[in-house]
Amino acid sequence: MPMDHNQGRRGHFHRGRRGPDRRGPERRQGPPPDQGNRPERTDRLDVEQIMREIRTRIAQRSGIELSNQQIQELAARRLEAILDPRGLKPELLDQLRRSAGDRSVSVDVVPAGSAQSYPFDEAALYDSPNPLLRFIRKLLQPLLRMMFNPTPIAHALALQSRLNAEIAAREAERDRRQAEWNALHYEILQRLALEVSRGSIDSQNLLLRVESLAAKVDFNERRVRSMEGTQVRVRPQEPVQPVQPVSTAASESIPASPQVVAAQPGEPARRRRRRRRGRRGPGMNVPAEAGTNASSAPAVMEPDEGDTENDFDDEAAPEPINATEQAVVSEQIAVSPMVAPSPEPVIPPEQTRPSGPIASAEPATSFESVPSKPMISSEPVAAVEPVVGQSGTRDDELPPPAEPDHRDE
Amino acid sequence: MKIAIVVQRYGADINGGAELHARYIAEHLARYADVRVLTTCARDYLTWRNEFDPGVDRVNGITVERFRVARERDEAEFGLLSDHVFSRRHSLQDELDWLASEGPTSPELLARLSRDRNEFDFVLLFCARYFHAYHGARVVPERAVLVPTAERDSALGLAMFGPIFRGVRAIMYNSPEEQALIRAAASNDHVPGVVVGIGSEIPAAVDPARARAKFRLTGPYVVYVGRIDANKGCAELFDFFTRYAANRPDAPTLVLIGRPVLDIPKHRSIRHIGFVEDSDKFDVVAGATALIMPSYYESLSMAALEAWALGRPVIANAHCDVLVGQCLRSNGGLYYADADEFGAVLDRVLADGTLVDQLGRSGRRFYQQHYSWSVIERKYLDMFALLSSTAATYRMERMPGWVARRLRSLRPAAQVLDELPTGPAVDVDERGSEKPAPKSQGAIA
Repeated sequence: MPMDHNQGRRGHFHRGRRGPDRRGPERRQGPPPDQGNRPERTDRLDVEQIMREIRTRIAQRSGIELSNQQIQELAARRLEAILDPRGLKPELLDQLRRSAGDRSVSVDVVPAGSAQSYPFDEAALYDSPNPLLRFIRKLLQPLLRMMFNPTPIAHALALQSRLNAEIAAREAERDRRQAEWNALHYEILQRLALEVSRGSIDSQNLLLRVESLAAKVDFNERRVRSMEGTQVRVRPQEPVQPVQPVSTAASESIPASPQVVAAQPGEPARRRRRRRRGRRGPGMNVPAEAGTNASSAPAVMEPDEGDTENDFDDEAAPEPINATEQAVVSEQIAVSPMVAPSPEPVIPPEQTRPSGPIASAEPATSFESVPSKPMISSEPVAAVEPVVGQSGTRDDELPPPAEPDHRDE
Repeated sequence: MKIAIVVQRYGADINGGAELHARYIAEHLARYADVRVLTTCARDYLTWRNEFDPGVDRVNGITVERFRVARERDEAEFGLLSDHVFSRRHSLQDELDWLASEGPTSPELLARLSRDRNEFDFVLLFCARYFHAYHGARVVPERAVLVPTAERDSALGLAMFGPIFRGVRAIMYNSPEEQALIRAAASNDHVPGVVVGIGSEIPAAVDPARARAKFRLTGPYVVYVGRIDANKGCAELFDFFTRYAANRPDAPTLVLIGRPVLDIPKHRSIRHIGFVEDSDKFDVVAGATALIMPSYYESLSMAALEAWALGRPVIANAHCDVLVGQCLRSNGGLYYADADEFGAVLDRVLADGTLVDQLGRSGRRFYQQHYSWSVIERKYLDMFALLSSTAATYRMERMPGWVARRLRSLRPAAQVLDELPTGPAVDVDERGSEKPAPKSQGAIA
């Protein structure tokens, strides 16, 4: 049985008006552990820790890192700002607060009959609490009546008394209604402020998520570009001869690329279309005139024929290049006198992976060790990112470029 | 040693918390002392109507003297006076009037105490907020041992109780939170005090399967034991539970044991099995996943202690300092502050059987170390021995004069209460040693 020793108390007036927990979030989570003063801490069980976990999970689920208490405090501050005393009568503010806080306490309404408790009739004129005085007045009453008529006086006083009572009742009723309205307005305002606070926190949260996702998208884009660049560089062993005319033809049809120009100053401007992530399977969108070209580069197409539709999270799958790119590549290879048909064309991961921040546009000095020096080392690699899959690092293991957002995990 | 126990009601069939507490203490102390109970003829705690015959009675081998209540309680008057002293500036006389209105007003009982003040070595006064305890303490302060059973309600903010807490010979607290609260309210560090609490008559063996069969309980269930009353937090419990169960077809059953004062919602997952015998109650609790204690105000929850004694965890209301303190000290329960936490805690205990077992084991150990009868009896006897061997170095403050009592100089009790520290008292050694809690604003611990 519970200890209902306070059974004798009922109704709101029996209970302490404790209001919200005033311990603050850190105390709501419990005081700091003090093992020495606790009789037992067994089974390595920590209720506080469990409660912290539960509350953290709730906060994560709702997407808000703040507790209800904190949101309410925030809302209270907003409310203070809204109800700026400079723009509002201070006494009105106090009245609003009081009305909202003491809604249970009824406004002192003067009962309608209280003012009429002293009846104004003729007898009342001669009445007295003193019996002797009352007796004397009664004796002298005929004498007084001879001198003046007390009836109109009694009537006027009775009327005035009734009017006073009615006015007092009306005033009290009006005050009561006003207090109720004040309380209602304050309550509504308070709730509005609370909801606005909650909404702004939500929107802030969402904004952070958007930023985080945008950063990830940006990161992926740069990774795609780096993969393309890596693809370009890892195919020096392709047969050169059949590519030459096609690549020339192809190069005429695409706009000039400053990168290519810078890379091969002695060559006519080579253009390379910067391409987004691969959406095509092998052979898709390949121009008819490039058909032979594509078939002439089987080593390029081979590695991930089956993976071309995969997402880029599958890092080990280098993206196939289309015929145009193949042509550019082949031509670049063809004009490079230093390129030898190496049996292991893939650049080692430690060479491809930059040591600096991923987003930096620094030249990849690590590429200097690649044999095809004239072509590769002279190629600007500002947009070149390491192929994450090749360097043995997964996407989700890399630190995101922006502030991490664990809720996205 | 002769001990008087003064309590507002007494009887084998009276199961109010403090009354049961007094009866248990009387029956257990009777093994070591001559115990006599002084009480009223009332059975109903709302009216204090005289229902028992006055005179000497015997209840479970204990001699009981019953005295008539001079006036029944007038609920309307009591409500007005409560509103006045709790919410408005008032005088000491107003507080005394409030106390007389609350009752149970029994001048005969006080006359008996006053007349035969040397008959008893100690007078155990239960429930500080009632008429008999307040005036009893003033009549026999040098022998008065108070069992306040106070909780965080506005009555504790009344100024008239300060001299009582400072003037009795000793105080037997129910919990460290109660001790810290009273010390903060009355500054009575000089009064010997010990956290004792109360044990329970736990059966040696329980049979949950029998209860399941008897009450046709299937699947996991959580249980609430006690008066089903809004004052006990049951309305909030129903709200939280129905919201929790709304989205879960496999929600556990909420089993309710006790008399309803509140309408119980019709819900497929809520089962009210009424007021049951103790054996049934223990069997049901033993088979539950957890016991839920939704009360905001408790000085000590016997239901929670019984659940711990049976090795079941407790899910308590986080707004109740005492329950949270017990959960923290025992590591035997979790707590919730709102509907989200209620659902999350319930999910956790339903999903993690190992955790439930660990919580239950910790709770049982806590009960055995602090609330088994041998421990409680020893604490009482040690306190009596201490009081017998030392003389009081302080005296009860005198009642102010006629004029002083009528000065409207006292602040609203609710306002006083609001300024008292809150929170679970984890630093107070529950074994009873004196370890005063710092009186910092807003924190008991």
